Amino acid sequence: MSTTAVAPAPARAPGVAEPFRDAAQQADAATLGMWLFLATEMLFFGVLFFVYALARSRLPEAFAAASRQTSVLLGTTNTAVLLTSSFTMATAVRAAQLRRHGAAALLLLVTAVLGIAFAGIKLTEYGLDYRHHLVPVLDFAFDPRLARGALAFFWLYFTTTGLHLVHLTVGVGIALAFAWREWRRRGARLHEQVEIAGLYWHFVDLVWIFLYPCLYLVQRA
Amino acid sequence: MSPPGSDPPLLLRREVLTWLALMALLALTAGSAFVPMGMLNLVVNLAIALAKALLVVFMFMHVRRGTPMIRVFALAGLMWLALLAGLSCTDFAVRFG
Repeated sequence: MSTTAVAPAPARAPGVAEPFRDAAQQADAATLGMWLFLATEMLFFGVLFFVYALARSRLPEAFAAASRQTSVLLGTTNTAVLLTSSFTMATAVRAAQLRRHGAAALLLLVTAVLGIAFAGIKLTEYGLDYRHHLVPVLDFAFDPRLARGALAFFWLYFTTTGLHLVHLTVGVGIALAFAWREWRRRGARLHEQVEIAGLYWHFVDLVWIFLYPCLYLVQRA
Repeated sequence: MSPPGSDPPLLLRREVLTWLALMALLALTAGSAFVPMGMLNLVVNLAIALAKALLVVFMFMHVRRGTPMIRVFALAGLMWLALLAGLSCTDFAVRFG
């Protein structure tokens, strides 16, 4: 049996934490961790989409009538806002990778502002929904023949858009925090962290991409 | 997009085109929803949503650039979801007909 000398621990690059060999391994692990989280998020929202599909297949008329009560103009505007914010986020990630801190900070700020605009439009919509008596429990009135299915639709509408809004709010907080850190150039591996924040942001966008036709476009024609 | 010898461009043609494609698809899905096509409306809406999602996943989230393990994790999410939906469908089909 040969004895092997214990090699001294290699010096790590700044910003590389203990278990990792080098920056590349750490970045891969971090990205993998975010994807694992996103996989659990797929299940989280997936269940809601499943319930939606099931209820809609059983109550197609009521879902069509209920969907026509949503504001397609505000919903479409919001989709455009969110898709654009994904574009600005993708560009922010690129700016961070190019170490253009000022541009990255500005683009993250624009992304956060677009997120806030989305939330503002969504809350305005909730106000309109309330005035149109579409909020379950608080004030709900609908054509009695379709009321049961419409109630199911609006429960799902508020649950899904509400949970999406919570995710978006978290994303806005993350975008603002990284805008600040890019501006102050805080952190040795900032570009990798911004990239992971970007993954989360794009996922929130993905959820909305599917919510939009399910809630706003059921049977408009 | 930039003269040779200068910094690499911040805006990539690929990402700008992706954004334009997303906007075009949004216009298409919103517009088509007002054309009476029966069940085809649902198919078109879902197909366009899927196309938009794939654009975001491949162009903005860079799954292709990731390690094979990352792609496995992303697919695993979809697989669990398919299992969950598939088995739930069986349950509903058997119990409530």
